[in-house]
Amino acid sequence: MIALTEDLAKAYLQSRGLPVPAGSAAATADEAARRAEALGGCAVIKALVPAGRRGLAGAVRKVGSPTEAREAGAALLGSDVGGHSVEQVYVEALEPIVAELYLSFVLDRYPAQVIASVHGGVDIEQIHRDHPDRIHRLNVDPVGGLRPWEAMRLWERCGIESARLPSLAALTVGLWQAFVAADALMLEINPVAVCADGRLSVVGAMLGVDDAALARQPQWQAMAATLASRGGRRANARERSVLEINARVPGAVFRYTELDGDIGFFVGGGGASLFQHDLMLALGARPANHLDATPGAGWKEKMAAVVDAILARPGVRGLLISYNFLQLVNVDERMRLIVDHLKLRGVDPTRFPVVVRLFGPGEDRAREIARELPGLVYMPPMTPIEAAVARIVELTGGPRGTAG
Amino acid sequence: MSILVDASTRVLVQGITGAQARRDVAHCRAYGTRVVCGVTPGRGGMQVEGLPVYNTVGAALATHEIDATLIYAPPYAVRDAVLESLAAGIRLAVVLAENVPVHDALVMRASAERAGALIVGCNTNGILSPGQCKLGGIGGDLPARVFMPGPVGIVSRSGGMSAELALTLKAAGYGVSTAVSMGGDAVPCTPMVRYLALFDADPGTEATLLFGEPGTPNEQEAADWLASRNSAKPVIAVLAGEFQERYPAGTSFGHAAAMIQDPRDTVSAKRQMLADVGAHVVRRLGELGPLLTRLGVTRAVEDAT
Repeated sequence: MIALTEDLAKAYLQSRGLPVPAGSAAATADEAARRAEALGGCAVIKALVPAGRRGLAGAVRKVGSPTEAREAGAALLGSDVGGHSVEQVYVEALEPIVAELYLSFVLDRYPAQVIASVHGGVDIEQIHRDHPDRIHRLNVDPVGGLRPWEAMRLWERCGIESARLPSLAALTVGLWQAFVAADALMLEINPVAVCADGRLSVVGAMLGVDDAALARQPQWQAMAATLASRGGRRANARERSVLEINARVPGAVFRYTELDGDIGFFVGGGGASLFQHDLMLALGARPANHLDATPGAGWKEKMAAVVDAILARPGVRGLLISYNFLQLVNVDERMRLIVDHLKLRGVDPTRFPVVVRLFGPGEDRAREIARELPGLVYMPPMTPIEAAVARIVELTGGPRGTAG
Repeated sequence: MSILVDASTRVLVQGITGAQARRDVAHCRAYGTRVVCGVTPGRGGMQVEGLPVYNTVGAALATHEIDATLIYAPPYAVRDAVLESLAAGIRLAVVLAENVPVHDALVMRASAERAGALIVGCNTNGILSPGQCKLGGIGGDLPARVFMPGPVGIVSRSGGMSAELALTLKAAGYGVSTAVSMGGDAVPCTPMVRYLALFDADPGTEATLLFGEPGTPNEQEAADWLASRNSAKPVIAVLAGEFQERYPAGTSFGHAAAMIQDPRDTVSAKRQMLADVGAHVVRRLGELGPLLTRLGVTRAVEDAT
């Protein structure tokens, strides 16, 4: 999922005619002051990071003048919020809020759900723990979409008074349509503000978009690599190099996430990589990364990019290259690429252990190719998947005792 | 015996003119699959390896009887290809494309449920009934290397692991009734429990082997179903991805579906839920052969090599 920052999420919602407070991003404290002045002095300054609970982290500040805006900007810029370094702040008009509601749309399983509560503006997970009865959910029919009367029933269940229901239902349907049109997996509006003049305003907005749909969402496609998160943090330079080649060459997708272990982990296929990662931990060793690789066009250059990222990582002591029995790809082509690339990078498997489990069509030729690189351990035909993992653990220092 | 596909299944291929489709279709036909025709919009009137190509599924159905469609449409065209096949009345589709947007999967799943149809996928390498029929790349050019006929049903969230499991069974002398790679997406068009019920009802299946991962309610639904069924046919579960529990909930390791959102989504919780309702939970593939022997599942007569 691509988590958009608040400025991008709100610009998108505004483009769909939804009521978003005036606001814009600022990269310096002076810029924050000027933007607050343009809004009349009173404003909210928020750290522009794709993290929740910014309010609790002190990363949302109300200011009453441009001077205060400058101070708030200076305090937030460069600080760390939820593991993200704050490079920009969002300066937004202060709404005259009289009530705060919670509304979100979530697609993590079938079907998508709308979640609503009259307890907005606070940590919804806390409400969920303490008062689960104050949160109401609705499954949305994927074909028919969210209907106004369904949204009205939902808010009625939450306890909203009759007079406010039509406008709130209309906003909810508008946000649902924006959620679908964005190919979003998550849209959280916290709070939906009820203003003193009766208006509804989308004051808090977090939007997470389906990676698989980015190519039909051109407004965000260009920033995909920079926005992509890896393990709850922004991707680092090595991870970005893999993301960029995925984006540049359509076809195969290699999802490379660095972890804190020391064994380079090049395992093809989603299920096989989960299975072998568990096996490695059970032996007390730790992968330096996780990899989820799916076949397709451009696999050669992408595979090379992942091997490069692993080799560039300080502290990595060996490399496991292990696939399920290949059913469609010629094994010798894979081995040719592996051997040539390791040679190109000067890898000596007698000093940096490399274990390969690669079975399938063309295996005889692959075994000849493997002999060009002395020390490379090619697991014998039909060796169980468990044995290759055990071998790389043994060659990189042996079992490390029980997993920590 | 088998589920969903057998030697009599008549197959349409949507997107038959593409390179991957041509290669797979050649392998499927060599294996015995009855491919009767293809559809590629704009290529009607063409022939591919002697098979007629039509512009629409409706036109193909005007001339041919079709039981299943194998869909090679690219990710953003999959939804319409599936809806077209459903509108034409086809009740079994296999969708290979990976990276299909989740919102499209929602629409396909809801539409299939309404039509009483079953969609395998998305993001599957296919379905295979050994010695009878295969739809998709599963098994490659020589499925017999991996899949031997027998009484074990396989349903797997990972295509590669379908083969790995079948190979492990073969080495232990056990064959497969049907292997279903159900697809690894967050929203599969058919939940795992539907395949488990089909295997349970299939007289040719003596035990069912499932491969599960973190994330999605598939395994929990399987446990709920196991608790409520009126059958004692053994279910064996292999689950991978326990390592994710060392990281904060919501951490993505790339495989979008295999992401823990909820404590019940973890592999540990799923193992426990399945074991509690009588499934045989296995951690090492090497345990599968001895377990099947203990369960009295029929071994293949032929020499296991």
